[in-house]
Amino acid sequence: MSHSIDASDSLSSSGLGIPGGHNAPRELRASSLAGAWRRFIGRRLIGLAVNLVLLVLVTFIIVRLIPGDPAAAIAGTDASQSQVDAVRAELGLDKPLPVQFGQYVLGVLHGDFGTSFHYQLPALQIVLTAAPYTIAIAFASLIVFLFFGLAIGIAVGIITRGDRHRWLDHVFNIGAGLIASIPAYVQATLLIMVFAVWLVWLPPAYSPSYGLAQSAVLPVAALSLGCIASVARITRREVAVVLEQDYMRTARGWRLPSLTLYAKHMLPNVVTTALTLSGIILTALLGSALIVESVFAWPGLGTVSVQAISEFKDYPIIRAAVFVIGTISLLFTFFIDIILGILDPRTLGDHRG
Amino acid sequence: MASLFTRPRAAARRRTASPLLYLGYGMLAVLVLTAIIAPIFLDHAATTLTSTANSGPTHAHPMGTDSLGRDMLARVLVATRETMLAAVFSTAIAAVLGIGLGIAAWLAARRVREVILRLIEFWVSYPTLLVAIIVAAILGRGLAPAVFAIGLANAGGFARLTANLAAGISTREFVVTARLMGVPSGRIATRHIVPNMAEPQLILIAQAFAGALVELSGLSFIGLGAQSPSFDWGALLNEGASKIYTNPILIVGPSIALVFASLAALFVGDGLAAAANPRTNLRRARMLHHSGTELAPLTPDTLLSVDHLTVRHDDSGRELVSDVSLSIRRGEVLGIVGESGSGKSVTASVVSKLLAEGLTATAARAELSGADLLGRVSGRELARRVAMVYQDPGTALNPALTLGNQLSDVLSRALGSTRRAARQNLLERFRDVLLTDPEGRMRQYPHQLSGGMKQRAMIASAMSTRAELLVADEPTTALDVTVQREVLTLIKRMNATMGTSVLFISHDLGVVRALCDRVLVMRDGRIVEAIDDVAHMTPEGVVHPYTRQLLEATPIVTMPGRDIEGAAR
Repeated sequence: MSHSIDASDSLSSSGLGIPGGHNAPRELRASSLAGAWRRFIGRRLIGLAVNLVLLVLVTFIIVRLIPGDPAAAIAGTDASQSQVDAVRAELGLDKPLPVQFGQYVLGVLHGDFGTSFHYQLPALQIVLTAAPYTIAIAFASLIVFLFFGLAIGIAVGIITRGDRHRWLDHVFNIGAGLIASIPAYVQATLLIMVFAVWLVWLPPAYSPSYGLAQSAVLPVAALSLGCIASVARITRREVAVVLEQDYMRTARGWRLPSLTLYAKHMLPNVVTTALTLSGIILTALLGSALIVESVFAWPGLGTVSVQAISEFKDYPIIRAAVFVIGTISLLFTFFIDIILGILDPRTLGDHRG
Repeated sequence: MASLFTRPRAAARRRTASPLLYLGYGMLAVLVLTAIIAPIFLDHAATTLTSTANSGPTHAHPMGTDSLGRDMLARVLVATRETMLAAVFSTAIAAVLGIGLGIAAWLAARRVREVILRLIEFWVSYPTLLVAIIVAAILGRGLAPAVFAIGLANAGGFARLTANLAAGISTREFVVTARLMGVPSGRIATRHIVPNMAEPQLILIAQAFAGALVELSGLSFIGLGAQSPSFDWGALLNEGASKIYTNPILIVGPSIALVFASLAALFVGDGLAAAANPRTNLRRARMLHHSGTELAPLTPDTLLSVDHLTVRHDDSGRELVSDVSLSIRRGEVLGIVGESGSGKSVTASVVSKLLAEGLTATAARAELSGADLLGRVSGRELARRVAMVYQDPGTALNPALTLGNQLSDVLSRALGSTRRAARQNLLERFRDVLLTDPEGRMRQYPHQLSGGMKQRAMIASAMSTRAELLVADEPTTALDVTVQREVLTLIKRMNATMGTSVLFISHDLGVVRALCDRVLVMRDGRIVEAIDDVAHMTPEGVVHPYTRQLLEATPIVTMPGRDIEGAAR
């Protein structure tokens, strides 16, 4: 959600969130860049592996942590003893804990999260059918919010530099603040109101008869509007910070033409930070996607997992969904970090993940 | 140390709370009052079933009624309590858990700390809603599990902020001192660490509260949060959204409430952040003529002449430079010495026409090689005439561009060089300043070079345009002694072989003595002494007591080759 984004933003402005920064390794020779990449990829792959192990652990204990007798809780209060026993057997709860865990891990390694109670199909299959829908709107939103957010933030940042055009500053602050603070699901509801109910331009919910692209417009809009505002705010602030840096003073001292000054000397430094924060925004966006999907009946991971919890108590689905959503957000972060590494090799040196 | 762009911070930074902060507080107050009062008076209207079901906006029901005939406005107002309380509890859980864990990480042994920090990273790298789904899957649907889930999810952010802040604070002097004095860690944490992170934590709390409110309502909206008969804004919005075709007015109330609350939190969070890091609001720098002073005509060999220069800070009206006059002949090295705040760097910034924002310079004359610095001078002309070397080579070069890439920009600007010509020129200058492996250096990023190498590259760049004047603002201050000497030698060589005049700013009289032909001593914005015969200056020979103090405090630095080069000229 937009607010958790701004929280991380305030971390970065105090210089804590940005990797590399100004304390990058001093003597990193060009020839060692390949080595830096190797170490970076190696470290991130290890991190990825550790995260996957933790995810397996978490999905395993979801069922174990249900208070009371998990099988009875899952089967429901009006279930017969044989139904409860069936659930117990399906989830492997009738065996000793180490055996349960061993079987679970073996199953996961074979892509087996159990059979969905509701659909009577392999849980992973249901979840993997839904995943592309979520990835599609999340990715489309990423492109949209990065492009518009960066463009607006940079333009406003340059125009208002050194306290020029104070009115634009105010208009931008209030406008972007307003948009960033409207929750994505409220925006989704309002967008349906305007574009589906009043104007009848777009479908209010996913329906195969309308074409995928048309159905996707409103969900993507609902997801990206707030992010555009957040990215624009972050970028604008970052432009102000970068313009104050010594190297920008050096460039001004070289009397470079405005285009070179901003496009070549300022932009790369702004984009690095904006991208770093976009990784965090993307994670938050994935979260709001799960909610927004429900508004539009978008057949993605959010709809599947929310249904699995609130309607069917379908734990194999929940486990598979948590695992897949977690993996997707890990991969998103991973790819953003790789793009960052390409844009700014200094970030390869940090010790995260 | 002062540099060209130093601005008088204390005077420029005003610590004013923005009106938006007060607006945010006001909106929060409205919410709190509503949360307290509304359930007392409106509970009946909000929960009693009536026969006017599914009403649109009417006088009696301005926001309509739901399918059971309950007044929507009353329901929205009453729901304020539930929504706010849930967000408060959730934020409290997040803050207590997170700050506790962050402190624990800091107090723990190194190994344990590493593990905890990794866990925190794992924690914050997943979407909040994923954690909520996990908790809802374990504890079932309902507002209490949702509050716990969102609290748990947001605790990661607090833990990370706390760990980062603690790491920063624990290296500060007072904590180090306390440790040395044997104060136990727990006591250091409560006495020194926690109080010093109050401000950023407060900002994060405001943001986390807004986030929790939005996320909790989001969970209710998709049916994982508040369960009937209890209701919060998210649940009400869900009801409204399901009737969006038949009775669209129902979404208005909850939407406004949610936006109102998150705006309030945004204003407070932004306002607090702005008060913690006030932005300077500065007007563009101005450089003006002042008339009425008779000026002597310039001699032909004068490169730079500045007469009766005064620089004022716009806001405070303080004079940073008062009535300073100086001139540099072609091929001459002029030093300006003074402690930080003496106005020497501001003077240099006028000469290089890079005056900082918020300052106004007036002078009777400021001419560089026939160009009026107080008027408009084309960028290309300035780039050709003046080159600069700055104090900190570590920050003066663009970290995102290779040396070759950024240093050739100035050549295409100043000389209109092609890429190839610029590259060739730079390679030769790199050899002149004795940079090893010049071709390799061209392809390297600044962070791959040491400070001394970067400063040499800066000098190479200054040489490459064959500028008439080099403004060097404390170019050796950030370097260690051996590198200092190399840099001075390079500047001296540039002066001797290319005839470049130099304006050399330093606080170090010893360095200046080794390099300069003439020296001006500045103090409090004024020139207190001009020394024409630098080689033979002695504490007895100078007039002003301040200069004598400086001189007596300076060890004598000699530079190999000075006499030879001086004699050759």
